[in-house]
Amino acid sequence: MQLTRSEIVEELKKILITSDEKNRALVERCTEDWELTTDFGFTSIGILYIVIAVEETFGIRFENVSMSDFRTLGNVVDYIEEKLQ
Amino acid sequence: MRDNGNKRARLFSIRYLFYDFVKVTAIPGYLWFRPKRIYANPEAKKKIKGGALVISNHVGFSDPVVIMLAIWYRRHHFICIKDFFEGRLRLLFKGFHCIPIDKENFGMDSFRIITDHLKNGEVVSMFPEGHVNTDADNGLDQFKSGMVLMSVMSGKPIVPVYIHKREHIYNRTKIAIGEPVDIVALHGARPSMTQIEETAAMLREREQELEKLITGGKKNAFTK
Repeated sequence: MQLTRSEIVEELKKILITSDEKNRALVERCTEDWELTTDFGFTSIGILYIVIAVEETFGIRFENVSMSDFRTLGNVVDYIEEKLQ
Repeated sequence: MRDNGNKRARLFSIRYLFYDFVKVTAIPGYLWFRPKRIYANPEAKKKIKGGALVISNHVGFSDPVVIMLAIWYRRHHFICIKDFFEGRLRLLFKGFHCIPIDKENFGMDSFRIITDHLKNGEVVSMFPEGHVNTDADNGLDQFKSGMVLMSVMSGKPIVPVYIHKREHIYNRTKIAIGEPVDIVALHGARPSMTQIEETAAMLREREQELEKLITGGKKNAFTK
């Protein structure tokens, strides 16, 4: 699957909204440097939920990663980009 | 993604030789220390078949043994903090097929191990309060919602149980067993995070109801 970085970000935003409609307002104005725990208010389980949704959407598998590896939205995008190459 | 298969754990496996040996040799201990089981309803009294996630309050370090004695007919894979696998008792924890997790930094690999056990028809047991609640008289602590996600991703139900500390050394420990909760039937295969948090709170309420069955002396409790 060949996707540009902005396409990955858009897909990721869709996942964030699907995970919880309450995120919509935040997602619409977020940037890649937003922190998942402090800016979005995700718990480690919230991040795990997103990781699972990302795996299903992009058809990739997160390996040897823990929730602290994804501090910002950009970190998740970086990981997906790397896996898709 | 969700596995709807109804796999059953094998009755005998060389992998569980140590576990089964200890279990068989502990039969006299079982007869002496067996907890008094109280069931919420006839549905709860049915034996657990296939994969299930058993959740319980955590009042002491003997709780895993109490759960193993109460649901004696299944092998339990307890989720425990990884520190236990670094101490002197690591061989014991390995022998009992406990699943180590890093509480501070939960990893995707641990999550997969847990869901794979459940999908393989095994029983995984855990304490969703996340620690021994030394102040249990003030009620249950908040439940962590990871258990709900584990249940959803494996498609297996959650069985809530409540352990009531014995008041005297001569008393039997009491344990209340609730009916299995099928999260997928409640919210579908992909609940939102809000639904997951709400389900964790609902399961905590179920545990409180089980507590009342023991402490409130409800008459319609099915005892064994």
